[in-house]
Amino acid sequence: MRLGSFYVFVLLLTALLTAPRRARADGEAAQDSEILGDDSSGLRVQSTTTRISGFSQYGHGYQSQAGPVLGPGNERLVVFEPQTDVVFTQGDKLTHRIWLPFDVISAASPNSIAPPDVLSGASRHVESGTIDWTTNYKSTPVTDFTMRSGIHLENPFRSWSSGLGMTRAFADQNTVFGAHLTGIFDWFDQFDIHGHRYGRTERSTGTGTLSLTQVLSPTTIATMNYGLTVQAGELGNTWNSVPLADGTRGAELLPNQRVRHAVVGRLAQYLPWNGAVRVYYRFYADDWGIVAHSAEVLLNQRITPNLYVGALYRFHTQTGPFFYTTLAPVDATLRVADSDLAPLQSHTIGGKIVGDLRALGIARSLHYELEYDHYFRTNDLRMDVASCALGLRF
Amino acid sequence: MTSAGIGFTTPRHRILLPLLLLALTCAGCATVPQNRRARLADPMMSLTDEPLDAYRRAKLYDTREGAAGGDGAAAGGGCGCQ
Repeated sequence: MRLGSFYVFVLLLTALLTAPRRARADGEAAQDSEILGDDSSGLRVQSTTTRISGFSQYGHGYQSQAGPVLGPGNERLVVFEPQTDVVFTQGDKLTHRIWLPFDVISAASPNSIAPPDVLSGASRHVESGTIDWTTNYKSTPVTDFTMRSGIHLENPFRSWSSGLGMTRAFADQNTVFGAHLTGIFDWFDQFDIHGHRYGRTERSTGTGTLSLTQVLSPTTIATMNYGLTVQAGELGNTWNSVPLADGTRGAELLPNQRVRHAVVGRLAQYLPWNGAVRVYYRFYADDWGIVAHSAEVLLNQRITPNLYVGALYRFHTQTGPFFYTTLAPVDATLRVADSDLAPLQSHTIGGKIVGDLRALGIARSLHYELEYDHYFRTNDLRMDVASCALGLRF
Repeated sequence: MTSAGIGFTTPRHRILLPLLLLALTCAGCATVPQNRRARLADPMMSLTDEPLDAYRRAKLYDTREGAAGGDGAAAGGGCGCQ
């Protein structure tokens, strides 16, 4: 499917699902179903949200060829990312969510690969889109099943994903246990670091997640997650490069399998002054030798009944894989110089304003969010992110 | 103050400390009736970000750091930049 047709399909689908129901003539009495809710099995839109984000990145990394042969190259990147989702119910047991994220990316690193290559034309300016459909079936008041499928289209890249999940609540819904499985298959062009194309390659990713959410008090809730991900196939983008000891550059050489473990804990506590604090911690380890710790604190403060502000700080530290290098021997069997995989520390400082405007007449409320984040790393990378969301809650 | 400084030096004491933490955690698991959970329903108390925001953040971090996963989504795959 061409991207143009894809966009038209997405717009039509969004318009269809968010179209307002027939307006009532002045003076016409309201029906019971309009007050008490429709008990039919028809579709009923619950919410629709759009979000537009812009990312502006500066920095340098040894995998990029946009610089000296043996030195770090430019990693300038600009991303424009519109997204939308629609949540609607079908009867009282089925809830659907259709989610449509898009990315428009301009990147300096692939743009540096000299023509006449196939890659730079495809990757220096990339437009991509995803259609993702999730259906939740409430089989009993305490048991839910979830099914999900999606397709991702990108210039030299296709990806299909599907998932199954289940949650079960216990103890008057104070405890919720969940289990989810997700599979992803990627199929994409294979290049060398000079941009020559060598047919197609693929990777597959399987993830299993267990979660436990517990109400600890009337003002405290916590959750624990464990995720296991196994990846196999081509695990690089095929055109990242590595400086070599003979004064040239060579391709990344990565293992063709990766097993990744992550344990996540979250806790939210309501504060007596109409505020809330959320803390997050993740421990991560994989068989490439990366061990990472991530911690985040989000402090929210309600200003009015329909408006609150938030302040965020996140810290991340990681070791690199055992084959990370910035100058590899020519005969190394495994090598990577990707700055994203280097030993590093990163910080994020952010803020947001979240509010709802009520009594609009067309919906229960208009939800809005304005956010700004500044992300910076110890190995010469920084990014500014601005994001704006608007949504209708019916 | 280190664990040695407060006397947690013997194997028995090293077992007691995690058991104490576990007991405190279990004590917090007493059932809270639904009519006392109004604070937990406040959007400020959500354990996760709004879904579109969560995607934006996850993509930012997953593509710029070696670690990912643990949030229900796959750690890698599904995108040309991962």
